[in-house]
Amino acid sequence: MADMTVFVARTVRTMEPSLPVAEAVAVRDGRIVEVGTLDTMRPWLESHSHEIDDTFKDHCIMPGFIDPHLHPSMAAILLPMHFTTAVGWDLPWEDIGPVRDSEQFHARMESLDAALAPGDPLFTFGHHPIWHGPIDRSALNQISTTRPIVAWHRGYHSITVNDACLRWMDLDTAAAGRHPQVDLDAGKFFETGLSVALRHLRGYLLETERFRAGLDRMRQVIHHGGHTTIGDAALGFYGFEQEWDHLQAVMEQPDTPFRIQLMPFAMGPEGDERTDDEFVERVLSYPSRNTHRLRFSDHAKMFADGGFFAELLMLKPPGHLDGRHGEWMTPPERFEAVARALWNAGLRIHVHTSGDLGVELALSTLEKLQWEHPRFDHRFTFEHFGISSAQQVDRMAAVGAVASVNAYYVYELAEAFAARAVGYERASQISRLGSLERAGVRFAVHSDFPMAPAKPLNNAWVAANRLTESGAVMGATERASLEAAIKAITTNAAYVLGLEEEIGSLRWGKRADFTVLEADPYEVGAEALRDIAIWGTVFEGHKFPIRDG
Amino acid sequence: MGAHASKGLVPVTVIAGYLGAGKTTLINELLAHDHGRRLAVLVNDFGAVNIDAVLIADHDGQTISLKNGCVCCSIADELGDALDRVLALEPAPDQIVIEASGVADPANVAAYGQGWPGCRLDAVVVLADAETVQAKSRDQFVGELVVRQLRRADIVMATKCDLVTEAEREAALAWLAETAAGAPILTRRAGQLEPELLLETAQPIERPSPQQPHPGNGPAEPAFDSAVVEVNGTLDRDRVEAALRDWPDSVLRVKGTLRFNGAVGGLHIVQRVGRRWSIEPAPDGFNSSHTGKLVVIGLPGTLHRRYLASSLLN
Repeated sequence: MADMTVFVARTVRTMEPSLPVAEAVAVRDGRIVEVGTLDTMRPWLESHSHEIDDTFKDHCIMPGFIDPHLHPSMAAILLPMHFTTAVGWDLPWEDIGPVRDSEQFHARMESLDAALAPGDPLFTFGHHPIWHGPIDRSALNQISTTRPIVAWHRGYHSITVNDACLRWMDLDTAAAGRHPQVDLDAGKFFETGLSVALRHLRGYLLETERFRAGLDRMRQVIHHGGHTTIGDAALGFYGFEQEWDHLQAVMEQPDTPFRIQLMPFAMGPEGDERTDDEFVERVLSYPSRNTHRLRFSDHAKMFADGGFFAELLMLKPPGHLDGRHGEWMTPPERFEAVARALWNAGLRIHVHTSGDLGVELALSTLEKLQWEHPRFDHRFTFEHFGISSAQQVDRMAAVGAVASVNAYYVYELAEAFAARAVGYERASQISRLGSLERAGVRFAVHSDFPMAPAKPLNNAWVAANRLTESGAVMGATERASLEAAIKAITTNAAYVLGLEEEIGSLRWGKRADFTVLEADPYEVGAEALRDIAIWGTVFEGHKFPIRDG
Repeated sequence: MGAHASKGLVPVTVIAGYLGAGKTTLINELLAHDHGRRLAVLVNDFGAVNIDAVLIADHDGQTISLKNGCVCCSIADELGDALDRVLALEPAPDQIVIEASGVADPANVAAYGQGWPGCRLDAVVVLADAETVQAKSRDQFVGELVVRQLRRADIVMATKCDLVTEAEREAALAWLAETAAGAPILTRRAGQLEPELLLETAQPIERPSPQQPHPGNGPAEPAFDSAVVEVNGTLDRDRVEAALRDWPDSVLRVKGTLRFNGAVGGLHIVQRVGRRWSIEPAPDGFNSSHTGKLVVIGLPGTLHRRYLASSLLN
């Protein structure tokens, strides 16, 4: 057997400024030996046995794509459900077309009902009244009177169920009837009322076999999108140790073509420790349990304001159109105390921010910490970065922050936010990548899957074009350049995860992780990024085709 | 005996208010006090609270964390879980006290009291630090939240009143009254506890020395007083509802049973805590030996039995 494998391609896009384009990559033991041409590699080829692999002779080799922020555990709960959404989802096991109106919704529900074994509950995800019209208990009873049906709202915050489901849940109807956020007649459980239903559904949703089947689907989704590394941006939503066990069982397999960088969900102190220092010790202890594909490092995740899809973002004046308010996920004083403990311990902090007041909390905290205890190369990362101002971006540049941005908000939410949440000016500047690029703030783009499709090329496409689902351009001046959009799923995504020495570009010594494309993104240009077909990936030197194309 | 002695729902009291308002101190005192009620206390775990204080009255440890954020992240639902655990205790607690997170909207926590199986909401008590609350209400990050919490209160309790001058205290109380329009505003000093107000006792207060002078800057706060209003026969429900709405803020707690005329007749449990009131049919098997009796707790000198009784009748 040869020492080395040399992959030749029509084009190799290395994302290394010193050698941006090449034709061949030599690989040994899962790492790159040299990048160049067969001619420039001659010293290596002459001194080591090798085989030439020309599988990709008509393809473009890119560094393996990286999504630094998604949620495998949330996906594990959602992916076993049947998606019924207004925007289509191309999932590895099913290409689900858009379901645009009430008639299509009911037709989809009927066909799902017909396909399931008798008695199996039917969970569907994605109902939205704007497209599908209102649904209630009696509408779902028309689908089935015997099968429990749960229709989960696209915004995650409510469910509608049928009579069979009410029986299945063995609900205390007197209590549910008193709950201000349960409407039993309509079969609806929303906001805190959802917990009344989850009390009964949770056991089913978190049951080991089902959860692991969901995680296995997540494994397919990640490969399908062309990733070779992802970041799990908050391990521990449902229970840290259980999630860790499930991840190990499902993801740490020889045929898993990616690695996961894990960020613990850092609120502490909670659980056993009494002090922030003990909490920091706990975070620092996690890397000792690392496996080949599952790794902790020196990163921790914090939360400022509430979620963007959930519309719980905190805004500076003038606030929301309708005057309502978002939510702090961490009390500001507490946020500062935890951030200080993590900062002074030298950890790398990632902060979930949605609105400009959430950004302000994270930014003013970072400014204070830099004053108290200056650090270089701290990688304090603004995650999501929904609504912000250009002045905040300048301040981020001044204190050395980086960003990991959900660009997809623009595609699915910008127009709805303009009309209903914050007005046009701010909505058109959601996810302001152009400002970040101009200010020299490094940024990645992410999916936050299952919030957005786990498709790096699609996210880069939104970043570079800022087209909405209806085809409108929102905030052309906030587009990322093509180069920045591609860096955002390769080199800069590696940088955000602190893995830039190992992955993110193609050069000697790095992991042999490639995403293999049917077309060269630099040739097809920004407009066509999302249309590029993915042949598959190479993970640590091994080929993993996406078989169904 | 009161409703809890029958197979009723366990009352849930929510103690809310921004960080530093004195929630944990209050709860610690409540646990230490000999009020004769078996309490389950659920506290949030943001911040360095004294974990030793997290307990059920008989020292079974129960901690829960109440994280803000959207439900999609909280399928684990620690609060619901904790409620199930304490409701399953034998014997069941007489009352559940939930300390809400400092950034929680009290309405979200109160919803559990209203609609969780086995529970009913007693009251939302929002604490406010008399020294800092006005400044906090102007804070760019939490100002709106601090005001919103106060507006959700059934009773507002101004804390740390002994740390400010009398003029500052009066200014704070006036600001609170305006901000939390409609809720009674009580004052509290460290070490001075009114379990009769925080807990459902349904018993007249028996206080050996109700007017203890209190060390501190301000004058001693008067203790609370109670009255028993007995009404024979059946009443008009609309009239009773109007009375519960209209009784002055100085009437802080009302609990008892009444019978109504007509189609909605029968024995009912009547309660008011601050500005929250409810009338519920008495559960089956309810001890109905005192059919027309309300225990009323309020500020001394304000509980005029004849007024209270006649406002129910006319």
